[in-house]
Amino acid sequence: MNIFNKLVKNFGKANSIALLICIILLLLEFAGDRHGETEYEDFLFFPAFFGFISCIIIFRIGVALRAVFMRDEDYYDK
Amino acid sequence: MINSIPPGLVMFLGAFLVPLFPHIYRQFYMIFLVLLSAISLFSAEGSHLIIQVQDIQFLLHHSDNLSFPFAIVFHIAAFLVIIYGGHIKDWREQLAILSYAGAAIAALHAGDLFTLFLWWEATAFTSVILIFGGKTYRAYRSAIRYIVIQVGSGILLLSGAILLFQSNNEAIFKELDINSTAGLLIFIAFGIKAAFPFLNGWLQDSYPEASEAGTVALSAFTTKLAIYALARSYAGVEILIYIGALMTFFPIFFAVIENDLRRVLAFSLNNQLGFMVVAIGIGTELAINGAVAHAFAHIIYKGLLFMSMGAVLYRVGTCKASELGGLFKYMPITAVCSIVGAVSISAFPLFSGFVAKSLIMSSLGYEGLTFIYFMLLFASAGVLHHSGIKIPFFAFFAHDAGLKPKEAPINMQAAMVLSSVLCILIGIFPSLFYQILPYSTYYQPYDFSHVLSQLQLLMFAVFAFICLWHFKIYPPELNSTVLNSDWFYRVLFYKITNFFVIRLFDLWEVFSSSLIKVVKLIYVKVQTSSIQSGNSAVKVGRSTVLILFSLGFVLVCNYLLF
Repeated sequence: MNIFNKLVKNFGKANSIALLICIILLLLEFAGDRHGETEYEDFLFFPAFFGFISCIIIFRIGVALRAVFMRDEDYYDK
Repeated sequence: MINSIPPGLVMFLGAFLVPLFPHIYRQFYMIFLVLLSAISLFSAEGSHLIIQVQDIQFLLHHSDNLSFPFAIVFHIAAFLVIIYGGHIKDWREQLAILSYAGAAIAALHAGDLFTLFLWWEATAFTSVILIFGGKTYRAYRSAIRYIVIQVGSGILLLSGAILLFQSNNEAIFKELDINSTAGLLIFIAFGIKAAFPFLNGWLQDSYPEASEAGTVALSAFTTKLAIYALARSYAGVEILIYIGALMTFFPIFFAVIENDLRRVLAFSLNNQLGFMVVAIGIGTELAINGAVAHAFAHIIYKGLLFMSMGAVLYRVGTCKASELGGLFKYMPITAVCSIVGAVSISAFPLFSGFVAKSLIMSSLGYEGLTFIYFMLLFASAGVLHHSGIKIPFFAFFAHDAGLKPKEAPINMQAAMVLSSVLCILIGIFPSLFYQILPYSTYYQPYDFSHVLSQLQLLMFAVFAFICLWHFKIYPPELNSTVLNSDWFYRVLFYKITNFFVIRLFDLWEVFSSSLIKVVKLIYVKVQTSSIQSGNSAVKVGRSTVLILFSLGFVLVCNYLLF
């Protein structure tokens, strides 16, 4: 309980709940037979890993693309 | 008798009486027309109304198991948009909404390509009024570009139909051969409206410029009509798998950097169309069911998201993420509905997106298209990022922007709540939803493995965003313009044309001034030689030489020009 209180204090209530849900979802992996549409998905925690990494990659590419595709708000009105 | 009338026709024709009704009564009249049109939906499969004009047969009402689910959801969308736009007093916009929806529904029931062409263009001309409805200079310019592209798509469709008619003596709206010229022209025509890569600029350019209700209507009909047309004519065409995969992939990044939240949704719309196009490309019964189910669910949840952003725009006057935030306290119903839309589009279990998208993902798995499968899985995480999190988070939470608007008008709230309920009902009762799909295949989206995989994927993507935001890695949203494929014709094409036209004028200036000098020189020479020929010859010589010279000049010009 003390650990959770510390977590809430540092990470925020909503964020801590999200983290808790993530941990529960990982533990559920051992509660039944999880398999995917492809054989790669059968690896332990694959969807969790894929979701996390995808979001980071999308963010990184998005930030990099700002330099290429982002222009002033009135770009087309000039 | 009523069954033979094409669904949508009563809406299209009845729309022209809209100005006669006062506000509020007008809404009841429009809803009545939608219900009247829906009666024809329950006519038997097959062709019901055929008109012969010389050699051409117009199949005005053809219905089957593919048109049926699209027609149902188009009627639902029309109903919801009419409720959402109930506060609008401008009859022109309401006329446009009703006639646009009517034209789109009638297009679904076209049995031949000429009838399809007529309704295809009717959707273009009625929908452009909604973009003009944005009532800004940007909206006006965008509407002009929109109509040029939409009419261009129609011309390609007509060209293909004529070629097909010349070779087959008929132009039935059925499976077409993409390897023929006619098939290719029609494929491109459909591709423009389905916003294929590099043909998609019009979508992100125009949809966010329309009025609040206009954008909701636009998001429902045009692109989904194109999806229906592709499903009817090009199911199983392999190239669609790759086109669709690109469509799911690239808009994610543009949506992530875009600041205008309605434009983010327009990019997201493009991404969702990609899922449908992939499914059509696969072409199996399960995949076609997936494409139709996804189109059905998408019309409702994307409409819901556009409604929530429209409500924000209506109350706050802007939809820019950089200027919004903290609206949850003041617009709680809009925020909750927006979250339902966001959760649905992200495909969380118990919401409509999950039961629809699962069909497509499973069909990819069954066909062994592993690489495309992972592209779409990556795109699913992207959808969550830009539509599932970015839209509700930056509008209703993030930081407090100091805005204190009123909650959305009651009619907007009603439309949003109804849409939310539909998203949840479809998610909870998938078997009922699957019954209206074109093929009766057994599919169970809710099993332990599938639900757990999806929840892990989505929750860890959410957690990644939380980490980025909490540790202040996520950059602030900026007022900006994000370049898209419309840049090619708005900037590059303009610059190239401008360059050549200016050079052409310069060249003409040099050429014409040289020509005048030469002509002047010759004239002076000839004139001088005439004068030297004596007193009597001077009078005759000058005028004769002048006339002869003029005639000669005209002759040379005539030769050169013609």
